[in-house]
Amino acid sequence: MTGSMLKIEGLTKRFGGLTAVDNLSLDFPEGKLHAVIGPNGAGKTTLFNLITGLLKSDSGKVQFRNHDISGLKPHQISRLGVKRTMQIKSVFNQLTVAENLSITRQSAQRFLHPLRPASRDRQTRERVDEVLEQMDMTRLAGQTAGTLSYGDVAMLEIGMAVISEPQLLLLDEPICGMSPAETERAVAKILELARTIGIIIIEHDMEVVFGIADDITVLAQGALLVSGSPKEIADNEQVREAYLGRPEDEDYVDEAAHA
Amino acid sequence: MSGRALAERGLLAVFVVFLLTVPWSVPLLLNPFWVSVIAEILIWSLFAASANLLFGYVGLLSFGQALFFGFGMYGVGIGIDHFGLSFWPAFGLGIVAAMAMAFVSGILAVRLTWHYFAIITVVFSLIFYFIAVSAKSVTGGDDGINFALPPTFSFGTVQYSFADANFQYFFILAAVAICFLLMHLVVNSPLGKAFLAVRENDVRASLIGLNVYVIRLIAFVMAGFLAGVAGALFAFFGRYASASYMFYTFSGEAVVWAIVGGAGTLFGPVVGASLFIVIREVVSTHWEHHSLIVGVMAILVVILAPKGIVGLWRDWVDTPADSAEIPAAPELRTEP
Repeated sequence: MTGSMLKIEGLTKRFGGLTAVDNLSLDFPEGKLHAVIGPNGAGKTTLFNLITGLLKSDSGKVQFRNHDISGLKPHQISRLGVKRTMQIKSVFNQLTVAENLSITRQSAQRFLHPLRPASRDRQTRERVDEVLEQMDMTRLAGQTAGTLSYGDVAMLEIGMAVISEPQLLLLDEPICGMSPAETERAVAKILELARTIGIIIIEHDMEVVFGIADDITVLAQGALLVSGSPKEIADNEQVREAYLGRPEDEDYVDEAAHA
Repeated sequence: MSGRALAERGLLAVFVVFLLTVPWSVPLLLNPFWVSVIAEILIWSLFAASANLLFGYVGLLSFGQALFFGFGMYGVGIGIDHFGLSFWPAFGLGIVAAMAMAFVSGILAVRLTWHYFAIITVVFSLIFYFIAVSAKSVTGGDDGINFALPPTFSFGTVQYSFADANFQYFFILAAVAICFLLMHLVVNSPLGKAFLAVRENDVRASLIGLNVYVIRLIAFVMAGFLAGVAGALFAFFGRYASASYMFYTFSGEAVVWAIVGGAGTLFGPVVGASLFIVIREVVSTHWEHHSLIVGVMAILVVILAPKGIVGLWRDWVDTPADSAEIPAAPELRTEP
């Protein structure tokens, strides 16, 4: 058993009277592909927002390796190597795919040169080409990000998360809205990335979750319901009731359990 | 290179040649009065560039740039009149005062965005406008400060000063050109790309590791520098400093010039400022409601050409005339 990559202790976030994340403690060990699932409103995206500093927690602690990252600003957390994608895809719409990637790469540097042309940075250019190839997006390099298909925007966002060699990647519903072909491509990419980077993924597509995750954490109403291997989760009665128990979802569970 | 791109190069070359020959060609074609109008247009272009750097590149709509223009003006006026400074120290004082004010007000203002940001810039402008009007002993109140012009360079008995109309024109041209060159370098640098990232999507920008607050503050101080240089030049040009140029409506004009010319393009402010000042100079002698024309044009451009006149031009240049193939849409271009 390796140490923990991300450790959350007693994390709480309230929005007015609603407790979105309720005294949550989780431990994500190194070197695995973790999935976080749960019904709508379970606090999954809020959890990601708390980890990446977009929201401030009311109480509790987030530890990334040996850094206490609770209370840090998003850019500080990003610089420690925690990168994420958003549920509502978030790129620089009016810039080209290549510009999106090169800006992301250059922004990881502490000093942004104010006078030297950005395009003269050969290392960045080479890294952009590398990631474009890795994401199969070379042919889209010159296209404005806002004109891409939904699936391509999602892939670009993953590319932007990957370009600065992250330590931990948080993917918030990366394949939501993708066509079956795009899904297949994205899943293959995620599995490839998981070989070198710690990944936590929020996903509603149970086929995907049970197909790729090493560990599954189930949240309900901001609290931990249960966590374990896909098989344990699929067999868990509580989970079936709280989340997977609806008749239309049973196919997925059975499929996954016997996969 | 396509024919249209060549046409663009040609137009730019003609423009540069024109600017370099203004003191001789313009009196020949029009009359000597227009030389000083063109010098004024250059200063206003720089002022509009200040609003453009914030709105076009970082996405902050500032109605407070007149404040920094005013600090540039008063820096020069007070420097010469009260402290007895010579040309360059007074010029420096104007610029430093504008940047310092931009830094101090920026610390508070750039925490906010959109209309909150626009409102706080107006508030700062108003506060200092009223201070300038009431602090009569320092600023001259409503009358402003009239000062005697010190020489710019003196070599023994030979002196060059703004009293020489040609020297004045070329000094302003050189100062404005240097500022535009600096802005060109900045917007194409990694820092300039970070500006665009913040403009496009500040949440994403913070998630890729950019300190959005610091980047906005840097841009705000840089814009303060541009407005400060413009204000200092205008003080030398007019031999006076006045609070009326610190009023927020004056900031609004810069924003309109920048948007009509093309926000987010280097030359947009030049085109916008030139257009409106030429309209003002030509029409105002015949018809006092010349700002109506400005208003109608601003509305038309915002509706029909959201990227401004330079944006329209860029689309035309980037569309190959001889093929039906549609290129990747260049939305807001950062090149001139």
